[in-house]
Parts: sequence; structure tokens; C-alpha cells
Amino acid sequence: MPNRVAIVGIGQTYHTSKRPDVNYAEMVREAVVAALADAQLSIKDIEAAFMGTMETFEAIYLPDLGMAAEAGFFGKPGFKVGTGGTSGASVVAEGFYFVASGLFDVALIIGCEKQDCGDTTAAITAAATPMWGKGSTTGAIGEFAKQALSYMRTSGAKEEHAAMVRLKADRNACRNPYAHLKLGLKSVDEVLKSSYLVWPLRILDFCPQSCGACALIFASEKRAKKITKKPVWVADIETVHQEVFRAGVFGDPTGKETYTQHVACERLYKRNGITKPRRDIDMAEIYEPSNWEELNLYEHFHFCGKNEGWKLIEKGITEIEGEFPVNPSGGVIATNPIGATPTIRVAEAALQIRGDGGERQVTRDVKTAIATALGGPNWTVMTLLKRSL
Amino acid sequence: MAKKVTKKTPDKASKEAPKPEYIHVKFDLPRRYDWSTGKYLGYFYAEAKENKKIMGNRCPKCKEILLPPTPVCGRCKVDMGWDWVELPQTGTVFQYTYLVFPLWDPHYGERWANPYASAIIELDNGVFYRHWLEEQDKEKLREGMRVKAVWKEDYNERGQGPGDILYFKEIGKE
Repeated sequence: MPNRVAIVGIGQTYHTSKRPDVNYAEMVREAVVAALADAQLSIKDIEAAFMGTMETFEAIYLPDLGMAAEAGFFGKPGFKVGTGGTSGASVVAEGFYFVASGLFDVALIIGCEKQDCGDTTAAITAAATPMWGKGSTTGAIGEFAKQALSYMRTSGAKEEHAAMVRLKADRNACRNPYAHLKLGLKSVDEVLKSSYLVWPLRILDFCPQSCGACALIFASEKRAKKITKKPVWVADIETVHQEVFRAGVFGDPTGKETYTQHVACERLYKRNGITKPRRDIDMAEIYEPSNWEELNLYEHFHFCGKNEGWKLIEKGITEIEGEFPVNPSGGVIATNPIGATPTIRVAEAALQIRGDGGERQVTRDVKTAIATALGGPNWTVMTLLKRSL
Repeated sequence: MAKKVTKKTPDKASKEAPKPEYIHVKFDLPRRYDWSTGKYLGYFYAEAKENKKIMGNRCPKCKEILLPPTPVCGRCKVDMGWDWVELPQTGTVFQYTYLVFPLWDPHYGERWANPYASAIIELDNGVFYRHWLEEQDKEKLREGMRVKAVWKEDYNERGQGPGDILYFKEIGKE
């Protein structure tokens, strides 16, 4: 690889369900300004800008078109990517590729979504071709409900374990000033008493619809060292997209399908000499739209053996103070501005490496972190971050 | 045409900036779309309309029956040829969910009837098919339920592909 790439600036908005005080472009600007301030750079230092968002979620086909000035695109090269749920991670990959290639030395990466304008689940159901499956798809929630049922049946996990994941997320979110849902939940019972969205998923088992944006500034090695004393290196990125996943979407009832997480792990771990992820990596920020999916992903990313995901939460291993913290930010079930969500995973993991996590800084020293993204159906992007290369 | 409707006017007496508010934008729906099925999905649509049959196509290499039918096997990366298999119309509920959250038709803005049961059905030759169930009582839904396809009887109402099957109905329940 010609150029090493570092994250030299991190910025995000606070995340919440409604932002009537700003329009989409103004909201994105808040994150960009924060990232520039963090890097102590001016927008004039930015050579190229890239943006990731879920197109049509705001009923706008070209959301980047109306924010060139506010987001710092004006007169600069770069373009928007939309890959569904993974958009915010695909834009990280895009920026990484361009800076690594040597084309640009300083690039701005933006993930954003403003979901207060309408029903974004209607936009998700439009992801299915109208020629096949329209109406029998159930939006994201229904797909994760089926996944939860499969997981419950095969792993031996109980509803209490999923509730424990929500409690962990909520405790962490309460320590994160940017997080959306901070509920102050105290007991498993509170989660189990919440009403059903799509059986067996309850309202507290699932992520909210948030408004928010996250911006990162990437720099090549020679520039990074001049910009900051604490660069976070993007060591590697792996993207695996797969459409052919007919029966289950987010859980495979047939037992015959290949999970993109397994393929992504196999490649990324092998290239970086990771043989025992929980030993070789210090913490993870994963994309878990539901608490059941978090348990499932522990297994898919090989943080534990098959059908053992629920034991990690039971033993407290993935807590902020635990041996292998997962989502100290509160994760996706606390905060989900979709296009920004995977970018936030990278940003939060980078903050942990810098030691700038504030109240949500994990107890153990983080030298290596992994950030993952999930999109539908069955797409995975993994980003490996390091303090030193 | 878009029509802007402000909910309330800002207080003109106030010297401060007006309080931020949402503007409700109204759209007249439906918009018209014409989607093409293509050759392979078109065959599925034609067989459903003309003969009330569920058709899948078989990969010459891995012999997997693909539904929806496609011109290329994604795994083997080979041309599928023109090897069609009629699928059984009976099967077993493999997985189901019961949708409480209201969903909207993304293209026409109509609200779908709700709640309803959506299922993954293992057809009797092992192929998985996603469809609705007739049974709307959550207590009576169960995995392993034996079901059969119920078609739209009116020829002129068919032509909607998978939508030509109204739902899957429990076998033995009349």
C-alpha cells in the first residue's frame, strides 16, 4: 500500500429523534465543524470530501446535492456512496482507498441521516424489488424478529439475555453525551415488560430512529504526523457484500448459507495475524440493530464459540470494565442515525484508542479496535484501527 | 404537486428569531410506475397468471432450485440455462413473525392492513418461499404448521407474480 492512512479528526452531532431546529444540511455542518475543530484544520485544508447516507430515507434522491456549501463539498472532488445499512462504513472505505492511493492527502468523510421527516421503514421496504417480495418483507424489524427467533431456538439464549444487552447499552449510553436513548433502565423486567413491535421483538429490543451526523478527517502519513500527536491508524478494511441469501436475510434457518461476517473475518483476521480476536483486539464497536443481533454477532465475529454469545453478556465480559468491551458508546440500539451509524462505530473506536472516550472510556488500554457495519441483506464491512502500525 | 402548509405563524411581536418548526409537505399519490420483470421473472409471472403454478429454475452446476428465478447462479457464477421446475404448493411453516408495527407501501403510500403474519415456508421439495399466512390469530400460529397456497381465482386479477397467491392457508382447516 503506497500511503498509510490515519484518522486525525473526529466530530459528531448529538443524536436525537427530532431536530426541527436545523435542516439536513445544517445538521451535517455541525459534525463537519466539530471534526475540523478536533483536527485544528480549516475547510480549506480539505482536498476531497466523501459522504455516505441511505438515499431516499428523507425522500430526497440526491441528498448531497443540497449541502455542498454546508458540508464543505463546494468545488472539491469526491462523491456520495449508498450501500444500505453499511453506507456509513462504505464511505470510510472509500476515503481510505483514496488517501491510501496517494490521490489525496487530507479527506473529509461524512456519514449522516435525518430521520425525523417521515417513516423510514417505508423506505426500507422499497429496497425489495417491487417485482418480488413487496409486502411480504417486513421492514428491518421483521427481519431481525425472525433472526431473534432462530437464535433463541438454536443457542439456548433466553429473553433475559437479550434484555441484559439492552441494560448494558443503556448504562453505556448514559455515559455518552452524544447518545440518543438514555433511559436509565434498572432491571431486566423493565425491558421484558415493554410492548411488542414485531413478535418476539419488543420496543426496547430494537434501535430508535435518530437524526445525526458523524464526520472524520483522514490524512496520509506525512500529513497526519504534522496535524496531530494522536493519529489513529486505519490498519485494514474488508467489505463483503452478498445478495444471494434467500431464506433468512439476517438469520439463516436453513443452515446452508455463508455469512458475510465469516468471510470478512477470515480475510481481515488472516491478513493482520489475528488468531484469537478477543486476545488480539482490545475492544469492538459493532452494528447491532437489535440486542439479539448483538449476541449473534459475538459469535459471527468469533469473539466466542458458536451458541456462546449469551454467555459473554452473562459473565460481563463485554461491559466497559470487562475483558473485551463491546459498544461502550451505547451502540446502535441506543443511537441509530442510519447513514451515520457505521461512521460513528469507527469514530467511537478511534476515540477509545486515543483515550478520549471521557466517561465512556473503557478500563483496559486500547491499542487495537475493530468497528463493524451491517447492511441488508447480509452485508458486512469491518474496519481495523490501531494506535501504532 | 407539492403544497406547503405551515402549522402556525411565528409571533411577529417577538424580536427573537422565529421558533423552529416542521413544515408539512403534502404529496398527491399515487405516482405511476412501470416495472419490467425481465425474461426469467417474466416466466414466473406468466405461469402464475396462466396456470396457477409456482416455478423456479435449477442451476446446471449445483442443482439448487432458485426462487426468485434468475439468469445466473450467484454462487456458481454460471448461466442458468432454461431448466424450469414446478414447485409444490404445500409446505411447512419454518419461521414466522407477526407484524404489529404499521408498514406503508413505499411506492404508493398506502398503508398495508395490519397486523399480519409473514412467514418463511419450506415447500415440500425443500425450497424456501416467503409469503403471508391466512391465520391472523397470534396464538394459533406455530412453526411446523402445514400450509397450502390459495390463489386469486379471478384470471383478470392475476398477473401480480407472487401476489397472485393470496396467502398460505393451514391444511385441514376449512
